[in-house]
Amino acid sequence: MSAALGSAGVMLGFVASVLGVLTLAAGLRQRSRTGQDRDSGLGLLWLGRSFAWLVLGGALLATVAMQIALVTHDFSLQYVADNGSRSTPLLYTVASMWSALEGSIILWALVLAGFLAAVVRRFADRAHDPLVAWATLTIFAVAAFFFALMLGPADPFTTMAGAIPADGPGPNPLLQNHPLMAIHPPMLYLGYVGFTVPFAFAVAALVTGRVGEGWLAATRRWTLVAWGFLTAGIVLGAWWSYEVLGWGGFWAWDPVENASFLPWLTGTAYLHSVMIQQRRGMLRVWNLSLLVATFSLTILGTFLTRSGVLDSVHSFTESPIGPWLLGFFGAVVAVSLGLIGWRGDRLRAPGHIDSPLSREGAFLANNVVFAAFAFVVLLGTVFPLLVEAVNDDRISVGTPYFNRMTMPLGMVLLFLMAIAPVLPWRKASGELLRTRLQWPAWAGTATVVVAVLLGARGLAPLVAFGLGAFAAAAALRQVLLAARASRRRGGSVLAGVIGRTNGGMVVHLGVVAVAVAFAAASSYAASDEVRLAPGESATLAGHTVTYLGMNEPVRSSQKTVFSARVAIDGGQVYEPALNQFPNATQTIGTPSVRTGLTEDVYLTLVAGPDQADDPAVIGVIVQPMVVWLWIGGGLMALGTVLAAWPGERRRRPAAPETGAGHEDDHPADDDRAGRDGADRVAGRDADDDDSADAPSPAPATVGSP
Amino acid sequence: MNGRQRLGWLALALVLAGALVVGVTGDSGPPTSAERAEALSRQLRCPTCQGQSVRDSNAPAAEAIRAEIRRRVDQGEDDEEILAYIDGQYPDSLLLTPPRSGLGSLVWVLPVAGLVVAVAGLVMVFRRWRAAPTPEVSDDDRRRVAEALGGEQ
Repeated sequence: MSAALGSAGVMLGFVASVLGVLTLAAGLRQRSRTGQDRDSGLGLLWLGRSFAWLVLGGALLATVAMQIALVTHDFSLQYVADNGSRSTPLLYTVASMWSALEGSIILWALVLAGFLAAVVRRFADRAHDPLVAWATLTIFAVAAFFFALMLGPADPFTTMAGAIPADGPGPNPLLQNHPLMAIHPPMLYLGYVGFTVPFAFAVAALVTGRVGEGWLAATRRWTLVAWGFLTAGIVLGAWWSYEVLGWGGFWAWDPVENASFLPWLTGTAYLHSVMIQQRRGMLRVWNLSLLVATFSLTILGTFLTRSGVLDSVHSFTESPIGPWLLGFFGAVVAVSLGLIGWRGDRLRAPGHIDSPLSREGAFLANNVVFAAFAFVVLLGTVFPLLVEAVNDDRISVGTPYFNRMTMPLGMVLLFLMAIAPVLPWRKASGELLRTRLQWPAWAGTATVVVAVLLGARGLAPLVAFGLGAFAAAAALRQVLLAARASRRRGGSVLAGVIGRTNGGMVVHLGVVAVAVAFAAASSYAASDEVRLAPGESATLAGHTVTYLGMNEPVRSSQKTVFSARVAIDGGQVYEPALNQFPNATQTIGTPSVRTGLTEDVYLTLVAGPDQADDPAVIGVIVQPMVVWLWIGGGLMALGTVLAAWPGERRRRPAAPETGAGHEDDHPADDDRAGRDGADRVAGRDADDDDSADAPSPAPATVGSP
Repeated sequence: MNGRQRLGWLALALVLAGALVVGVTGDSGPPTSAERAEALSRQLRCPTCQGQSVRDSNAPAAEAIRAEIRRRVDQGEDDEEILAYIDGQYPDSLLLTPPRSGLGSLVWVLPVAGLVVAVAGLVMVFRRWRAAPTPEVSDDDRRRVAEALGGEQ
């Protein structure tokens, strides 16, 4: 039953996507033929967009069918037989939809259909606009590809060929050992797939030739939402790995992690450089390229992690999905580059950047560093494949490489984060910089001094702490000035953290917390494995752990848990455990962590005792500041929400403010200040209000047919 | 910049330099053998796992390598010898740091080369912008503008 229902859903989604593409294409063709006639093709454009609801219906149907099959343990379905088991708790049964390839494509299609429907709903009043129609068409096309995957190489609703088994193995034990598995992948997918929307508008802008700033304004919040989810997904993944994998780490430069990190890097670069384009009309090709890169990296990442190519370059054809994804990646890149080349003449912008010492200059530097960062991560991830393809050698590129190559780039980014917020647009004097940076610089210096006094040693972590505090102080300065300026205008102090610039500063504070925590935790970790008989103690980095004995094993149908009782510093008792899953040979550990604001003590049970009174092997890891990784992640998510929040710029005063126009007088209010005549390019509105995207021709389109 | 501000930045530079010097030179002597063994185990890939280092894995093979590293560190072998010995025991390389010679060296060289090219390009673009402060308006552009204006009248 589920199989039929699910296949029907997939088929519905595919057919509706294809019909959406065709109808919109026909409508657009009619409109472009008849030109000025406002009503021509409108019927088709209206019809085309309503297919989005059928696509969503198809995706929902497939999801519901898969969930019914999983929850009712319908082992006649191959996917359920491979990934379900009667003994798995309900939460992990639901989550096992994204524990293997075919199911995760359902999730991808569902999220994409959701975004498609949201776009259609949001832009309902602009359905006649070719820009919106082309963007919708692009999303339909991407959706058609993912539904086609489920019709072809990744069919989640294949039925069992032979006898129907009575039970299945369940998901990989690692994936059913922590509730974060239920939310981390959906978050990541919301981010990954969310970048389809700005990508689709970029394609639409290229096709329609409306490469001005309108499409940027239309997609600003969509991009922020995708970025926020991707950020949250990555941080939750790091948290999961800390809580489950048992080695005390949170980031291993593993290809799966890198695949999620790559679009984050290019997406972050885009969020910054797009501001230059909105303000100055420049960098059009670069911004389009960053969006194309971000979207195609999500496809490339899926290819790398889902095709088995990483095990060996020669094995990727074993899974039929590999060539499909690689082909789609190639098509996306080729079509996008072709469009950019075709529109090259319109993409040339007239402006230029006056001085490297300006907000634009800092954003440009930021982009070069982010691009280099992404290049290092991409190269390191695929390099073993390239070498293997060339001369059959198998080499590894691991953490030592990534740390060494990305650390200097991270430091430069922290430095730029400190100076960019105080830099005005256009041009700054050294004098201005020295005045504005004085207190942030002292904050950084004081932090280094305090860190040294507290015993921190080593150049890299100290520089990271100093730059982190420098950047944090610069962000706080911006927030405080904005709050003060708002209060002076009679507004709320809360305005200090709302809006793109100010919300962005909250994100910066989160990034600083993550960077400092990363530097501290990886530089000053102490770890040991100790063999302790009941009652014995060991000391590591000033902490005493005492092994008290084992608990009675807890047996459930899902797993058997052997846990030890270990007291930290003679106080509270923690219970690291080993889990034996019925269908797995290896035991899976569950670490137990004493979390603190300054330090985590992380306990694992490496080996339990054979007899009750025998010694057990306990792993102890003491790491400073780990909790700030999660706090920083939370701040980044919060800041993203604040940045997307409709600020007071929407309620624009009727008369222009007196005195506005000199950045230096209003350093905190620079989304409005500085927009004097010189800054405005005729016909181009730097406002990022979503509704401000009237299809007014930008100068670059003057003279177009 | 006024005298007081200059003095402020000078003081800042001195304090920062002092703190960094203390922070870097005050290092706690040579690493203990446990620290050396841990650092070495981070440099090697666990042969039976997916993308985990010897230090991070609990697989039996990783434990055996950790024990071997510890034994050789205690015998006084130097880091290079130990890594080379263990790497030589397995058909595929276990070194997580890619080689600095041959084809593998590209992974080190390419990003640096790319960054140099990018920065050089940026410098050149800024030079050109400075040299040509106003965009040139070609006759073709003028004609287009005239056409567009003419069309409206």
